[in-house]
Amino acid sequence: MALTTAPDPTRRGPGSARAHTDRRGPGRFRHSEGLAGYVFLSPWLIGLMGVTAVPMLLSLYLSFTNYDILTPFSEVEWVGLANYERMFTADPSYWHAVRVTLTFALIAVPLKLAAALGVALLLNRAWRGVGLFRGLFYLPSLLGGSVALAIVWVNMFNRDGAFNSLLSLFGIQGKPWVNDPDWALETLMVLAIWQFGAPMVIFLAGLKQVPTELYEAASVDGAGRFRQFRNVTLPMLSPVIFFNLVLETINGFQGFTAAFVLSNGTGGPVDSTLMYTLNLYITGFTELDMGYASAMAWVFLLAIAVITAVFFSTGRFWVHYSDGEDR
Amino acid sequence: MHPATPPTTDTPVGRTHRTALPRRRLLRGLLAVTVAAPLMFGAAACGDDDDGAADPNAPVKLSIFWWGGDARAKLTEDALALYTRKHPNVTFEKTWQANQGYFDKLATLTAGGNPPDLFQIDDNYLAEYAARNSTLDLTSYQKSGKLDTSKFPESLWQYGVVDGKLAGLAAGENTQGLVYNKTLLTRHNLPEPTTGMSWEQHIAWAEQVTARTKVPGTQDPSADYKAFWVWLRQQGKDLYKGNELGFTAEDVTRWFELWKGARDRKATPTPDVIHEGNATDITKQLVVTGKAATSWVWANQMPDLKKNTKDELGVIAYPGDPSAQWARASMYWSVFKGSKNRDIAVDVINFLNNDQEAVKLLGTDRGLPSNLDLRRVVSDGTTDPAMKQSIAVEAELTQKFGKSPQVPIKGHSKVKSELIKAAENAQYGRATPAQAAAQFIEACKSAIA
Repeated sequence: MALTTAPDPTRRGPGSARAHTDRRGPGRFRHSEGLAGYVFLSPWLIGLMGVTAVPMLLSLYLSFTNYDILTPFSEVEWVGLANYERMFTADPSYWHAVRVTLTFALIAVPLKLAAALGVALLLNRAWRGVGLFRGLFYLPSLLGGSVALAIVWVNMFNRDGAFNSLLSLFGIQGKPWVNDPDWALETLMVLAIWQFGAPMVIFLAGLKQVPTELYEAASVDGAGRFRQFRNVTLPMLSPVIFFNLVLETINGFQGFTAAFVLSNGTGGPVDSTLMYTLNLYITGFTELDMGYASAMAWVFLLAIAVITAVFFSTGRFWVHYSDGEDR
Repeated sequence: MHPATPPTTDTPVGRTHRTALPRRRLLRGLLAVTVAAPLMFGAAACGDDDDGAADPNAPVKLSIFWWGGDARAKLTEDALALYTRKHPNVTFEKTWQANQGYFDKLATLTAGGNPPDLFQIDDNYLAEYAARNSTLDLTSYQKSGKLDTSKFPESLWQYGVVDGKLAGLAAGENTQGLVYNKTLLTRHNLPEPTTGMSWEQHIAWAEQVTARTKVPGTQDPSADYKAFWVWLRQQGKDLYKGNELGFTAEDVTRWFELWKGARDRKATPTPDVIHEGNATDITKQLVVTGKAATSWVWANQMPDLKKNTKDELGVIAYPGDPSAQWARASMYWSVFKGSKNRDIAVDVINFLNNDQEAVKLLGTDRGLPSNLDLRRVVSDGTTDPAMKQSIAVEAELTQKFGKSPQVPIKGHSKVKSELIKAAENAQYGRATPAQAAAQFIEACKSAIA
């Protein structure tokens, strides 16, 4: 243990200070370097401004207007907080979409992380062919939010889809999962959970970082498998869990493609898959109510920011950074 | 930020002063460029707003956008090539795609300041666009004869008038059509349905079909606005009256109850299958997927439906008195109001509707030709049996058509989707017909407000 941790403080001490002084250098050199920096940065900067920042600010402005896409900007009317008022007081389908999205995220995200962690634990061993399995489990998330995958999913979970054929082998009468308002959202959750590859790979990397000495020490102290998992693996892995949790929660809230494909862009059957982003899309592009849709987008942004902030503030109670001062 | 650079002060702190200024200027420059660029493009897009009456022989590239399948694309491209042959200075930038997503794309193009000069649109969206001043008023062209509607049935071109302006010209005529699977009925010795059957008779017939063939007799059309519309007109009501709804919650309740009865009698498929059939996609219509014996469509969709099934199909009017149906513009051609080439765009519309060669090329793909003289030429010359069938049915119904209703109003697309939602709520048994009806009326009120 001493051997592995010893170089750390030295590297961070004088070494990093030296790097600093190197970068300062003489003034002339620094000037041109700074300019070059911005020149090299400019493609990104222009992209950020043109593609992200300006449209975002524009949408903030539009959220206070009655913009309907077809009317030119010059004729757009300022309506103050009317869009926000409507959202919070007079739009039941908005709150329905909020409920659908929360249900989806609250169930799919924890299960996905659990699946990712479980499989990562299994694959973190020196089996023969473990590399192949890592690849196979990662594959679904490579296909990501693809439309093709969602179409396959719809066909698999139809009344006469593959899943029901499988069930019928066991004498179980299946359901038209994707066309049943009680099950359509659950079908989407299963799809999301199945794509646990990305967090799994991150968990695997995290597991590799846990020093084996800790397990050795724990087993010398008489800790069993479960005890080791609870008292060594979980705390050592907590920064990675935190990272995955934040990322997957944001992803979960933004789920769009699968819901769009499964419901033909309607959020059906009976609004059961009307995710927040899908509702926003329908409002903006089908009903041409872009001002209102912009307001929805901004409330969504704030809501995700608040949830992320909550994660960060609670993180300090359970996220354990092994190289912190308190250790 | 570099740690040594004071970010805000201008106090000369030796060497730092020299670097801070150019950098800030550079940043400001970058900001200015990125902010100004979209504005300049925007200005360029709006700037050239001349009167469209330029030199008639100058080369012109006209953008045109429509929805449809491969067959329509081929026919349309041929007809446009014919126009180019007659007017070599005019070429076309053609874009087409499937119906799903078409109107999203059209709206986005319009918002981006890059709308097509000429586009296809239907009555679900015509008022949305016309009310927002996106479509060119064609009245003056009609008056001057540049747009010839003299051979059109009057009610047909009038079905393109929104708020007194001719917002689009009918690209063809169609009407509601009830399509049934002939092969299935013959195989089981069942009678074919006929125009003029009452709704009750239709449901009883469907019940019999289900019992005999094990294929549900009819799709439940309670979520289908066009079936609801015909039924309403038979009750002396309408979908819209001015800027109001033309029906009450009681009407909707009765409509939903009619179909609840049909479902209870097993005349229709189960709710999940009904839901599948509620998609507007032709390939998903239950009569071609084999999940029901009858589908509720537009009569001009017959040839396309036929391409998706091996079975023989028949088509009749919706149940009840057929005079509730009308000569509907299956779709329109509209010109974007800000188009630089609006005169030529109008001329192309005129060509596609009134030039004999062009109309013969286009056939009945967009519905029966609007020009009655040419309609006769096309129907005499056609050999496609599915096309013949839809022409025959429409020709027969033309005698019985009633007066056209007004074009659906702004907010109609939302009303349509709310009807699907409410009807499905009743179909899945999550609401009684009365509850679903109340929910629908409530949603409609805010949609068209």
